[in-house]
Amino acid sequence: MPSLRVPYSWLREYVQAPATVDEIAARLHMAGMEVDRVERVGGAWGDKVRVARIQKLEKHPNADKLQLATVEFGAAQPKTVVTGATNIAAGDVVPYGELGAEYVDGHTGERVVMKPKNMRGITSEGMILSAKELGLGEDHDGIMQLAKSLTVGVLLQDAIGDAVIVMEIAPNRPDALSILGIAREVAALYNVKLTEPRAAELPGKLDPSLLTIRIEDDRACPRFAAAYLEGIRIEPSPDWMQRRLVAAGMRPITNIVDITNYVMLEIGQPLHAYDATMLRGRVLVARKAKRGERLRTLDSKDRALRPEDLVIADGERALGLAGVMGGEDSEIRPNTTTVALEAASFEPLGIRRSSDAHGLQGSSGSAAARRFGLDLSPALVSLALARAVSLMGEHAGGRLIGSTDVYPHPRDRAHVRLRGSDVPRVLGASIASAESADALRRLGFDVQVADDTIDTYAPAFRTDIGIAEDIVEEVARIVGYDRIPTRLPFGPLPAHERHPLDVFRERVRDVLVGFGLQDTISYAAIDPAWLTKLTADGSPLAPEPLRITNPTTVSQSVMRPTLRASLLDTASRNLRHREGVGFFEISPVYLPRKAELPEERWTVGILLAGQAEPVHEGETWLTSPRSWDLHDLRGITIGLRDAVGAGPVKGALQRGGPGLHPGRSLRIESDGRVVAVGGQLDPRVAAMWELPEHATFVAEFELAHLLSETPAHPSAVMPSRYPAAIREIAIVVDEARPYGEVEQAITEAAKGVAESVALRDLYRGPQVGAGKKSFAVRVVLRSATGTLSEEDVEKALKRIQGRLERGLGASLRS
Amino acid sequence: MATATDLKGLADRAVKEISSAADEAALEAVRVRYLSRKDGLITAATKEIATLPAAEKPGYGKAVNEAKQRVESALEERGRALREGAIAKSLSETADLTLPPRRVRVGHMHPIARTIREITRILGSMGFESVEGPEVEYDYYSFEALNIPRDHPARDKFNSFWIANPLGDPTDRRVGLRPHTSPMQIRVMEKRKPPVRVVVPGRCYRFEATDATHESIFFQYEGLAIDEQISMADLKGVLYSFARQLFGGERKVRFRPDYFPFTEPSAEIAFDCFVCDGSGTTNKGRCATCGGSGWIEAAGCGMVHPEALRRVDYDPSKYQGFAFGGGVERLAMLLTGTPDIRLFHENDMRYLESV
Repeated sequence: MPSLRVPYSWLREYVQAPATVDEIAARLHMAGMEVDRVERVGGAWGDKVRVARIQKLEKHPNADKLQLATVEFGAAQPKTVVTGATNIAAGDVVPYGELGAEYVDGHTGERVVMKPKNMRGITSEGMILSAKELGLGEDHDGIMQLAKSLTVGVLLQDAIGDAVIVMEIAPNRPDALSILGIAREVAALYNVKLTEPRAAELPGKLDPSLLTIRIEDDRACPRFAAAYLEGIRIEPSPDWMQRRLVAAGMRPITNIVDITNYVMLEIGQPLHAYDATMLRGRVLVARKAKRGERLRTLDSKDRALRPEDLVIADGERALGLAGVMGGEDSEIRPNTTTVALEAASFEPLGIRRSSDAHGLQGSSGSAAARRFGLDLSPALVSLALARAVSLMGEHAGGRLIGSTDVYPHPRDRAHVRLRGSDVPRVLGASIASAESADALRRLGFDVQVADDTIDTYAPAFRTDIGIAEDIVEEVARIVGYDRIPTRLPFGPLPAHERHPLDVFRERVRDVLVGFGLQDTISYAAIDPAWLTKLTADGSPLAPEPLRITNPTTVSQSVMRPTLRASLLDTASRNLRHREGVGFFEISPVYLPRKAELPEERWTVGILLAGQAEPVHEGETWLTSPRSWDLHDLRGITIGLRDAVGAGPVKGALQRGGPGLHPGRSLRIESDGRVVAVGGQLDPRVAAMWELPEHATFVAEFELAHLLSETPAHPSAVMPSRYPAAIREIAIVVDEARPYGEVEQAITEAAKGVAESVALRDLYRGPQVGAGKKSFAVRVVLRSATGTLSEEDVEKALKRIQGRLERGLGASLRS
Repeated sequence: MATATDLKGLADRAVKEISSAADEAALEAVRVRYLSRKDGLITAATKEIATLPAAEKPGYGKAVNEAKQRVESALEERGRALREGAIAKSLSETADLTLPPRRVRVGHMHPIARTIREITRILGSMGFESVEGPEVEYDYYSFEALNIPRDHPARDKFNSFWIANPLGDPTDRRVGLRPHTSPMQIRVMEKRKPPVRVVVPGRCYRFEATDATHESIFFQYEGLAIDEQISMADLKGVLYSFARQLFGGERKVRFRPDYFPFTEPSAEIAFDCFVCDGSGTTNKGRCATCGGSGWIEAAGCGMVHPEALRRVDYDPSKYQGFAFGGGVERLAMLLTGTPDIRLFHENDMRYLESV
């Protein structure tokens, strides 16, 4: 939002509210005029800098360029100090700093504390100070002169100290982007009188042989006015004006330029002053740039103009990019005596586009362009011109020769009619029409109230008013938002829809947190280079990512198409300061689609790396250290399925996942794509991320796929009431035979009675011979319908044995 | 074949061994020796009953039973004594309860996820249904439908990231990363007829420099309520109730006018700063968290602009309502005392385990 610095002393010229600056700032803030802070000018001066009078000046006995100044500053005895200043005389009133005063060193610009100083044999115990030393600007050429009317001995802070209200003005209120605009708000809020600034009477007539104004595009430039002044003397502007400009954040230059800036800050309307003798053909035209036209702007840049750019031109050439930046050719020079002063109104969109096209947007643009880019009222044009003419007469010797104003289609004041009941309808507060009308009148609205109708005409400078709600807001701002009561909505409850995926996501989060894994959230935009580090050969693991055309940094320049890189990065960074990590993230990945928005596919990523136990690092007195392993990862994924109640895996289980160890990973394919992967990270990839090569494990799966495997409701199991028969079997098989086949054979052979199969031990060694392994398995047999007899059990075991021997070539040991 | 006398001797021996068994394991060994089903000494005698002539059976059987009963009751008695002794011994022992325990692994919900859950729970209790929408969004929903046409000065507040168009989609539908959750206001209203009451949490993106209180990738929550008589008083009530439920009664709440193109009138809600307790200063000077104002702006809000209503074919003369949107991180910072917003995405376990 555009910011505005409001020096309190300046504000008080127009409005005097019965309140302190802090109270006024708070009130403005609560009325929607955002106050960022209140700065104190001279706050650092404290009680050591006072108003002093120079009693006498003598030559320094040992130095030509130094003088001895005797000053009275309210103390019992005057003090004699050494000074190098030449702009002072006896009787001058100046700021004086005692020992211990804080001031700005004129050469280094640093804040220092005053100490006794020996200057050519004479010790100086105090200083008379320049504006720069007081922190009031750049002027270090001489001592700051104070008004003779000030009381000698008072604190300088009390005499000339000021406060600056630093504000952020909403972009729909360019009228308030000015000291006068804020003064109007203060006047309305406190219901006190507003004093308008002095302005000259403009004759509205100008000899065309001196200057003619022409608008060629009245959409882009609805109003164009100018004044013609002679007898101008270019010199520095008066001190008070310079001080105000500095306090408001602008740099003083010379009187003419300063006055245009001063009026812009005061009223909100930018102005432009031309050396009238430089205008060829004695004409100013607002027109679109010609093909191939060029302009050298005030920032010394040679610019090729676009045909859409509005320029202010004389009879031959473009003089400036209208409302954005002036040109070098026609600027005010030290010897300028005749000034053509322009005040115009421009269509804001065009200004913004021109600023953008020429790289002059935001802070690199001019203060004028920032204002013209908003919907500034054309009504301000004549007001600002008259005010500037008046100031140029007072402070630059300017003699008004004539003025002219081209305004072909005057803009109407905003007219809004609303029902008195609209105010309580929108606000829910009981505010009567009379009170609404009063609030609006304080803001300068013309208001008629009849029956239930409030008929309003906004002040001409208000361009933000258009509908009844705007009027309601104005009323609310002035009466205060505190008047709005609090209550809860009543009426019929809207129908709620179910969002199974959102609910499921939070269920998965709870389960994984319950498993002891840490929930993480990482940046959704990542470094594209990361995507080349996910497989050993750098081949892509995910589709080409969406690219951000204007990233702030390359490290956040593509939308991640996989969670993998973020998981590895998080693990890697954490393992710099701990032995192990176990965490997960649930976030969307972003996958481009043709002719529609990208798919945002919610994905769960789990990563385990390094040490798993003991949980509290280093505490091995109970628990031996152990790294995460593949079985941990499988336990977590299967545990998650159990916890959410997932049914059988949907899709084809295959060995090997992209970027994972080919022999120690799995993937699930469904609908022609990989919907889940899990396993040990490819050790070559682990090395690239500085992760443990043999102890990094990753699982990733689509949340929606897991949801599709999960029945909406669980199916309850009736526990068997009959006793179990438990048998231990040792099964010897070839090394290549997976355990899963053994378990499956047992379950199928004893269908209906095999309640569970548990692997008690896995043995390889001399007792079973080379190329073989032995599974010690516990089988629990139980029937849901009756107690199994010894015979039933034997039959089942026989079937199991037969199946294992014939089907798997196993042998059973006792 | 053993005689009744032999049986008595056997039982005597067993009882003696039982009384001298020092622990439950020794006792079990005695039991096995005499009473094991397979080859216990008394069991063996029992089995012999079947081989005896009918006349001897009663007498011998009685002797076997007596022996067995004596042994069994001695076993039980000694067993009870041993268990009671063990319990008494155990009760006399003390453990060093300052030794590190065998810890379980503890996971923590991410503070953002937890705050979002809290937000949707509280607003859910006020009838707001939680819905989510796309992060990669059309310019139309992010801006235009919200009364922020292209080149509107208000867009300066919502500096956006734009997405390159690799698939050659029509360029008139510019796609970017949503700078706020407000596009969902339009998407929800397009699909539903009033009354509407929804809350939308989600990731948002803005092209801006990061510092302790600003991130370019962050989370927002958006509320929307439309009906025939929803006023700013309802908005204020919902947000005050929300703040009270989230923070408890002691947190101060401030409601002041603000400007947003898609609401009119507009407001801002702020909570007093948790770092400086609303004073604006800390012992290090101006409070860095609230910038010295004493307040932390938590949400922008207002009455939905009639233009936005018209765009989704709601009749603004019949329906009105409010919308609000705020940063999840702000609330999470307040709730957890997190001093720097960047901690949320850094995923340093030391931080995450602390909140």
